[in-house]
Amino acid sequence: MSPRRLAVAGGRVRPVIGRVSGPLALVRERPLFVAPLEAWFGLRPGDRTLVAPGESVVRGAQLAERFRDRRTDVVEGPAGDGAEPGSWWTGSPSRRDRSGEPPSGELLFRAGGRWRVASGEPADALEAPFAGIVREVRPGAGIAVGGLGRGLIGTDVLGGPVTGRLQIAAPRDGHLRASAIDVGAAGAILVVGARIDAEAITRARAVGVRGMVVAGLGVKERREVLASERRSQAGTHGLPPFAVLVLDGAIGRPIATPVMAVLEALQGSTVAIVDMPPCLALDDGAIAVPAPAPDLVRVVAGPLAGAEGRWTGLAGPHRFAGGVILEACWVELDGGARIAIPLGDLERYT
Amino acid sequence: MTKPPRTLAIVDAGGATLSVALVGHLDGRWRLLGSLAGPAAIDEDALLAAIAERTASADPVLAAGLGLDAGSRADVPRLTARSRPPGKLLVVGATERSLGLLMAEASRTSWHLISASPETHDPREMTELALDGTVDAVLLGAGDPPGPDERGALDDLAALGVAAARRRPDLRFVLCGGIRDRRAWRAARADDLDESRIVEVPAVAGRRGEEGLLRAALEGLRADPLDGRGAMRRSVASLADLLDRRVELIEVGFDGGTRILAEPGTGGGDSTTESVITAEGGLIPPEPGDDIIDGVLAWSTGNLDRHRLIDRLRELRIRPWADAAGDGARLRLAAASAALARMAAVTEHLGSRPAPDLTIVAGGAFAGAPASAIALAVAGTIRRPGATQLAWDHARLLGPIGTIDDPAERYALLADLARDALVPLGTTFVAAASGSRQGLGRHGRGSVGRVDLAGDGLSMSRELAGDEVHFMDLPPGAVARARFEFHDAVRLGRRTRSAEVEVTGGLAGLLVDLRAVPLRLPERRDRRRTMLAAWSELSWPGDDR
Repeated sequence: MSPRRLAVAGGRVRPVIGRVSGPLALVRERPLFVAPLEAWFGLRPGDRTLVAPGESVVRGAQLAERFRDRRTDVVEGPAGDGAEPGSWWTGSPSRRDRSGEPPSGELLFRAGGRWRVASGEPADALEAPFAGIVREVRPGAGIAVGGLGRGLIGTDVLGGPVTGRLQIAAPRDGHLRASAIDVGAAGAILVVGARIDAEAITRARAVGVRGMVVAGLGVKERREVLASERRSQAGTHGLPPFAVLVLDGAIGRPIATPVMAVLEALQGSTVAIVDMPPCLALDDGAIAVPAPAPDLVRVVAGPLAGAEGRWTGLAGPHRFAGGVILEACWVELDGGARIAIPLGDLERYT
Repeated sequence: MTKPPRTLAIVDAGGATLSVALVGHLDGRWRLLGSLAGPAAIDEDALLAAIAERTASADPVLAAGLGLDAGSRADVPRLTARSRPPGKLLVVGATERSLGLLMAEASRTSWHLISASPETHDPREMTELALDGTVDAVLLGAGDPPGPDERGALDDLAALGVAAARRRPDLRFVLCGGIRDRRAWRAARADDLDESRIVEVPAVAGRRGEEGLLRAALEGLRADPLDGRGAMRRSVASLADLLDRRVELIEVGFDGGTRILAEPGTGGGDSTTESVITAEGGLIPPEPGDDIIDGVLAWSTGNLDRHRLIDRLRELRIRPWADAAGDGARLRLAAASAALARMAAVTEHLGSRPAPDLTIVAGGAFAGAPASAIALAVAGTIRRPGATQLAWDHARLLGPIGTIDDPAERYALLADLARDALVPLGTTFVAAASGSRQGLGRHGRGSVGRVDLAGDGLSMSRELAGDEVHFMDLPPGAVARARFEFHDAVRLGRRTRSAEVEVTGGLAGLLVDLRAVPLRLPERRDRRRTMLAAWSELSWPGDDR
């Protein structure tokens, strides 16, 4: 590597490449979609993959069989020719095993002449939430599936993957209560507005809702979802998978209007929630999605979090609450007021 | 022949924020024209354009002379440092005992750590951790020779390592101790693994163990000549030589922190530096555990309950550039204080040295915070008896300048820019109680001494209360002699009842800190918060949170 030198002739200093953008470029850009969507579905050692790279899968096709009551077995002797860590092993049925099923599992490693094998009881099937092509299969780690559609990006997903028809159950600044959820929502992915409480999540899961899309999810509700997932996975007859797509973060704020416009356009169509990347997968490329206005900015933090308005220019360094001086810009809020907002508190959708 | 540049954009691309500074060559030396920071994802050209436009609007002649018109900006050369993306290391020890030793070493590196041992994890769980796509490297370790408690697990560890290496060709390994000599390693046909993926270092424990080499090997896995944290070490070394002062730099960033102590060379020799880059010094880790939350809660003065605090910290992790005013600023500084406290815990060997002449505060965690609040946060966490001048690398120049390989060239640029790069915050003076006393206060909050300040047309005195902090106005540029007289002996490197030190002014002035060393706060949260809020009132301008 050439040494970094200050003089231009030394070759360390690289020239600026690209154009100099306008001041609106100082506002962080947030893309609405990831496209093309390639989703990663995590597996754990002992889960059995059922697909191979290059295979086409349709929505609902089984990608893998997941296990519960996971354990490590120790198997005497060689596991056969070509046995490699990660390969699937099936042994001979034991006389002590009343089921008559031969023991099986994923080979982990061999030490002292014995294999460690990850096994467990079959629990549920991992199904493809959208049609696509299997890009990569890594036993014990995960499966990558590339789809033709796009993904509406969120910040986080708990649970999943799930598929369901999208149903808007609350306005973008709403708060869906447990009493508002009934069995009519079974099989749906609900858009629940700015925030949701733990009781509503429990009820949704009980009536068969497959997923939720919410702007903010606090730690209490997050723990409720994760505990519910763990209970479901531990049960012999587990509940169907459930997922929550968090669009913004941990604090309740209205869903951004460009995002809500997409969700409204998708109402009634079948969508999926996948966790890597955290997004709402749209299979149907034919749905017209409105483009956000270029000067629309959204406040993501501070007392005005969730407010939207129109960018009107840089305001320079401003003194804000707490005596903090921050770079700011002028925003004409939807109510008509023109105020200075810290540059870091804004984002714009593209 | 190439003309030397007249302007230079100095870019520090951090994990959370991007800082761009524009410097110009004026009257034979480099001067800072302006700087601006924004979220990491924004275009640095936009930041540069905003600074250039401001420069042009403030002094059109100067801007034209430097070629800062819109058409020429694209030719402004750049000096860039960047933060390495965070790496995750799985540390597997043969026993919990050896794991503890490995973790102690690994915690003083920039790796985010997860850990396992055969005593707490079965082979399936350890394999699951190694196969996790977010794990970049695995450290397998035991003593050399292995202890009696370790021997039974070594073959499993060796076999686990080879199996993980086969299943994840992107994974790198550090083998510590005799893992490679185990029969299970050879039996698993490890000889055909790519040698460049495997680093072998001596054990950290046992008769043949050696300290320090493991840290170097772990940092070597992540070596990047443009890494801002690594480059800061060179800048601080040059600065120590330039100022002929002992210089300490404390940095808190998004994914890690840095503590560097540099001493100027003597007798024509080079300066010496010691440094620790640690993920423990990051503002908020990706998945903060209870200890991290408790740490932030301990420094928080707000009324947030635990759940709300976790929500706010999660938001801070998602958008670290946002919510930097009002309550958000105080929360951010509480998180930065907790990070400083964690960093102090893993750098005790640096903390035990005498107070440096100059302490530089750096990192995006302090961006926008009031100077006196920064001074109080540092004084409350990096506690050493003595006086030190405090300065702030406000434009984040030290990282990029440190990427210059040639020491003479780096020195020359720093010599030109040091005054502009470092905003003086003032001086902190910390006195510790001597003997077995925990604090200086004897009879409630009565006077324990006084300070007389004289110089530069200044003359002021103040009675000093024990277990308290005192701010005294001392403007930037002012130099004064401060004479401290205490009723009882205090510890300032030595036991004394009086001391006279030179103090320099800054935005925060002189901070006299007579709280206990180390700082002791009440266990009860309400009392602790009241105490912190009282100190905070002194350092935050206005009560407009």
